[in-house]
Amino acid sequence: MTTVTLPLPPTGTGRAGIRHAIRSEWTKLRSVRSTWIALAVVVVAGIGLSALVSSIEAGRWAGLGPADRAQFDPVRFSQTGVFISQFVVGVIGALIVTSEYSTGSIRTTLASMPRRTTVLAAKGIVIAAAVFVVTEVTAFISFFVSQAVLTAHGGKSLPAGSSIVTQVRSPVIPVVTITDSGAFRAVFLCGVYLTLLTLMAVGIGFALRHTAGAISLYVGLLLVIPLVIQILPSSISGSIEKFLPSNLGLAMVVVTTRKTDFAGVLLTPWAATGLLALYAAGVVVLGAWALLRRDA
Amino acid sequence: MIEAAGLSKNYGRTRAVDGLSFEVRSGVVTGFLGPNGSGKSTTMRMVLGLDRPTAGTVTVDGRHYHDLKWPLREVGALLEANAIHPGRSARNHLLSLAQSNAIPGARVDEVLGLVGLEAVAGRKAGKFSLGMSQRLGIASALLGDPGVLLFDEPVNGLDPEGILWVRTLLQSLAAEGRTVFVSSHLMSEMALTATDLVVIGRGRLIADTTVDDFISSNTEATVLVRSPEVDRLAGVLTSIGASVARRGNGSLLVTKAFPSVIGDAAHTAGIALHELTPQQASLEQVFMDLTSDAVDYHGGAPRTTDEVPS
Repeated sequence: MTTVTLPLPPTGTGRAGIRHAIRSEWTKLRSVRSTWIALAVVVVAGIGLSALVSSIEAGRWAGLGPADRAQFDPVRFSQTGVFISQFVVGVIGALIVTSEYSTGSIRTTLASMPRRTTVLAAKGIVIAAAVFVVTEVTAFISFFVSQAVLTAHGGKSLPAGSSIVTQVRSPVIPVVTITDSGAFRAVFLCGVYLTLLTLMAVGIGFALRHTAGAISLYVGLLLVIPLVIQILPSSISGSIEKFLPSNLGLAMVVVTTRKTDFAGVLLTPWAATGLLALYAAGVVVLGAWALLRRDA
Repeated sequence: MIEAAGLSKNYGRTRAVDGLSFEVRSGVVTGFLGPNGSGKSTTMRMVLGLDRPTAGTVTVDGRHYHDLKWPLREVGALLEANAIHPGRSARNHLLSLAQSNAIPGARVDEVLGLVGLEAVAGRKAGKFSLGMSQRLGIASALLGDPGVLLFDEPVNGLDPEGILWVRTLLQSLAAEGRTVFVSSHLMSEMALTATDLVVIGRGRLIADTTVDDFISSNTEATVLVRSPEVDRLAGVLTSIGASVARRGNGSLLVTKAFPSVIGDAAHTAGIALHELTPQQASLEQVFMDLTSDAVDYHGGAPRTTDEVPS
């Protein structure tokens, strides 16, 4: 019996590296249905929830006092779907790692690529790229759909080039165009926020290996720790809160920053982005350390 | 060639593999025998660089697994048949492996054909029977056309036809000059498949030899003889130096005499023989005897190890 009829490319040149690992991981990611379901949830929930909340907020406009109108943030309403998406992308990020441990296929993966950090990097790059593309597209569609919803409720665009903060004196529901100050940044950083969270989940997956544990920890970071911190005396909680991942996300997406609302409570958008990136990098390094140190 | 030198592995306080040294040469099938829990899988994982040895080294063709440039084209392995995402099709599973080592996609269909899974290539691996999963695992091992192959219990879950197929496949892979290292807890299966044997128990090397040597040095040739004049035959055989043990139904178990010698002696004495059968089945018993001290988990009742029809 001949086992090979097809000559394989020569093995003399080069070696299996990150390019090959990325192609392999992409095939793995696209070939399971859960990926597509999760990404569909991100798109549908993202756009649907944002449009719904924009519609509800627009309906409340007439009854709002000046202070509440000043907080009316058409950009943030258009990104409400992030509250759901952040859990969905966390589950995808954790699962692409932990599902390999639960099935045992991590051994096949590491046997095909014994340089383990290459495997981690390939997984991170592939899932981050997929999540980034989908969440950015979703964020911008959500933005335009939500502004259309506000317009349908009688909203009016602000004068060209005006700052959104001037909406304080807007007599009608403000509708934002993407070129308004801060709008593009806020929408763009939505995708960045979700992508960084995904990478964090990948790192958690490598560190913990178990699906339930990894997802619990991820949800805990986003939901439970903020609750625990709120119980602390406000002198302590006030100084910690802005460094929580969920509040970093809020800082990245918020446009209206009146002193009494978010200034001081939240970091600036780019500082928040940098810090979240640092968190994600830290967790990924932790995952890499576990991957290198432990038997597969 | 696979070379292990002083290979040891501790899990906490448990010593799973204890100072193993052996060589697996190319061109023949080498059986890796040991009871369940004796350290076979751990050893194989160390060959593949998945588990880090506590002490000692293991190399493939003189290199550590970690240093292989295109691992799948040099070493193919079947570790656990079910280690596949249940939602992924067989073809996509193999494609992702092929891509990781720059193996052309066309090779995927080739190995699927080789193991007889081309008709179910698009089906989810989670819907596969254990036998089909084994075939898929074997396909993934063959994907890179590697010179060294490791199979951990490849016949588990296979029907008799599948077992015969694996046996033939392993032997033809070895005949092509490859190194073929196959673990099993079934001595009878290895006796039929392998040429060389590495036998371990409780992580320690018990024997590193050939199947023929293992059998001849560890089994006494036993012959079952039936005759209508069993008493007189027993006397004759004893007189020529054979050992005779009586069985029911007018039969004797004879050792220390070849079948031809027994037949000649009976003929000379004018005794009719109704049966004269060399007994080879004691091989399994030899394996059990050798490793009985080295079995961690004894069953409450004597269990049949002959799970595989041969």
